[in-house]
Amino acid sequence: MSTTTSNRIEYLPRSRRRLLVAIALAGYPVAVAALAALKHTSLNRWLILAVFLLLLLPTLATLAVGYRYARGRIDGRRARLDERDLSLRQQAYALSHRVLAAILIAATAITEIYLTSGNTLLLDANNFWPAAMWVIVYLPALPSLMLAWIETDQPADA
Amino acid sequence: MPDHQRRVYNRLAVLRAERGLSRKQLADKLGINYQTIGYIERGDYNPSLELALTIAELFRLPIEAIFSLKPMTPLSEEVFRDPPAEPR
Repeated sequence: MSTTTSNRIEYLPRSRRRLLVAIALAGYPVAVAALAALKHTSLNRWLILAVFLLLLLPTLATLAVGYRYARGRIDGRRARLDERDLSLRQQAYALSHRVLAAILIAATAITEIYLTSGNTLLLDANNFWPAAMWVIVYLPALPSLMLAWIETDQPADA
Repeated sequence: MPDHQRRVYNRLAVLRAERGLSRKQLADKLGINYQTIGYIERGDYNPSLELALTIAELFRLPIEAIFSLKPMTPLSEEVFRDPPAEPR
């Protein structure tokens, strides 16, 4: 990624960063839901795959931006993290934990309601992979996304 | 700055300008990132006690001349303020 693009990402206003975080978080579930809905139609398999990938693209792009924004600060690879960086990192991890807890509680509650309503849940490779992918994609990315969410706009250079 | 924190007002921008220091130069002297200076100046980040004391030491001023929990008056006003009336 070029320096100009990197600088542009670093100076993204918070409102835009929050929009990107929302897209990153919502993109994958929307793509999986669309895939599940389209599977039951008579549409061509390749077309379904193309739609799925098209919906997935904004998620991947926004995840990359989120990762670039927090690079070196969340993973501690930046040579010098000062007290504000460390405090922000702590806040980002705490918020990630809260978001993750909310998602897990909601998912558990929905599953519980579904099962107690007399339905059964078939857990096979097809049903499990969206959840597994969610964990693989979002678990490492959440702190970076939360950092992009909470940090206020950078002060103008002076 | 987290919502539960009180805002700490400061004169960092004025003092920095007075000494002809850029944010980068001041940050290097303090061993922090230059963006942090901007966040402190804007009141978006409250420095730790250690950092506040280091800043005070660097400017050779008492800490209360740089940081305050109340909005700060202009330095000129403080310097030329009427002296307190002498006791009779």
